[in-house]
Amino acid sequence: MEKVYLCKTSDLAENQVKRIDNSEHGDIAVYNLGGNYYATADLCTHATASLAEGDIEDEMIVCPVHWGQFHIPTGRAQGFPCEIDLRTYPVAIEGDAIYALVEVAAPALIAKG
Amino acid sequence: MSNIIKTIDVTDSLENLKEVCDIEDGRISGRIFYDQKIYEQELEKIFARCWLFVAHESQIPNTGDYVTTTMGEDEVIVIRQKDGGIKVFLNACPHRGNKVCFAESGSTRGFICNYHGWSFNVAGNLVGQHESGIYEASDFDKAKWGLKEVAQVESWKGLVFATFDPEAPTLQEYLGPMTWYLDALFDNQEGGTEFVGGCIRSTYDCNWKIAAENFVGDILHAGWTHDSAARAMLGGSVAKVSDFEESYSVNWNGHGYEFALDTVGNVAVLGESALNKYLHTIKPSVAERLGEFRANMIGAVSSCTLFPNFSFLAGQNTVRVWQPRGPNKIELFTWVVVNKSAPQEIKEKWRKGAMMTFSPTGVFEMDDGENWEYCTKTAKGRVTAAQDLYIGLGMNSRAEETSLPGNVFKGQLNEANARAYYQQWFDHLSTKRWSELPNRNFGKQEAE
Repeated sequence: MEKVYLCKTSDLAENQVKRIDNSEHGDIAVYNLGGNYYATADLCTHATASLAEGDIEDEMIVCPVHWGQFHIPTGRAQGFPCEIDLRTYPVAIEGDAIYALVEVAAPALIAKG
Repeated sequence: MSNIIKTIDVTDSLENLKEVCDIEDGRISGRIFYDQKIYEQELEKIFARCWLFVAHESQIPNTGDYVTTTMGEDEVIVIRQKDGGIKVFLNACPHRGNKVCFAESGSTRGFICNYHGWSFNVAGNLVGQHESGIYEASDFDKAKWGLKEVAQVESWKGLVFATFDPEAPTLQEYLGPMTWYLDALFDNQEGGTEFVGGCIRSTYDCNWKIAAENFVGDILHAGWTHDSAARAMLGGSVAKVSDFEESYSVNWNGHGYEFALDTVGNVAVLGESALNKYLHTIKPSVAERLGEFRANMIGAVSSCTLFPNFSFLAGQNTVRVWQPRGPNKIELFTWVVVNKSAPQEIKEKWRKGAMMTFSPTGVFEMDDGENWEYCTKTAKGRVTAAQDLYIGLGMNSRAEETSLPGNVFKGQLNEANARAYYQQWFDHLSTKRWSELPNRNFGKQEAE
């Protein structure tokens, strides 16, 4: 388990999402949903798109390119054309710093159909 | 703003235009309704330059709401932005030109081209493509390849207009004092207007100008052309316009409004007494808002065209665009406009009344269609097309002493507005840019 620094809580307003570049694990999207922080992979599982450029609607992130949706807390793919769940990361808050806890060996992601 | 459309080159004007349109001499010829070369000039010198009606704000209240329409023969998408503004894009993918939106209206997060999967957001920016990785190797700059945005978009009291020409004057300047008269329909109650129902689309085998000209100032045809329809709807003939004590033809920059001051002459032909009653009920508040003069216009015998191809009838509340589809074909888009504050059943009666009278099967619309098609078709004959057509009624009818704004002429049985309309047409076809366009207005900018 690796602790990856994301950003300060003060850098992420409510209902905002931010992309944190990370060449090792892949870019990470960090979210503030009503004061609760979440982290997921930033790359859409359907096509090349940065989810941080999408809109948050309730607890969903809407991909900016083909408008598929993922449930932010669980990463579950919720709307066509997204069928593969999004990788999520547990989040740790220390002071005003937000960290993602990244399993070094990522679980294999297999297409559903 | 790299996604703004490229301005097209303007070709030289046709020679001898005066042979087909000599307004001082009170004549035009049928060639202007049938000639392909003239039509191509119109597309670039009128439809690619003028302010064109594209939507009513009420059709697209929320972010991502859109309608599709055309500006001349150019297909466009009119879409509400996140910041509340409105953008107008060419409905064509900047990769191979495929149409990106096939619906007439809707609400969306963006548009994805069917061909190579180029995806655009509500702001028209290119946000992705199928196999997007391969574009990077070609030094592709995404920011330059969004949907192409028209040069200018502006709203006036709910009516949204757009122009392809960055040099076009402001919409306010373009409409000038006509807005004072437009208020009689579009701003006679607090809250303004909205469109009810959808867009009714139909086609006619006629030239676009013959229809626009009918609304710019031809009430003369009504008593004759529509006699049987009027008898069906009213149980009697259309009001004898020459009996009106006071009526006017007013124009500016080729726009024209002809009107009487009888309050309900137009609305009466819908055959819905509740609508007459509604107008009489609101009239005192209109008088307070706009003054007695314009309160008399709210449903009076009248018609209006804003150059080049947007028209309406106050009272019938039909709003329309005569979309050009070649020199001898139009696609007619019509909507029904109502006061937002009107009771629901009144709005419904207007929707139904307009359908009965001014829709493809409407009793008045069919009368007009027949005439306009044959005004166009006779010009197929080369000899016929070359003959003079008379357009000289009311040559010396300028209202010399008037407090009214605009170029004011006495009487609505008058071809003054038609002449001003064709003069504007002639002036656009004779010039290459706005700065060269002659100013033929002589009236007041504002009411006194």
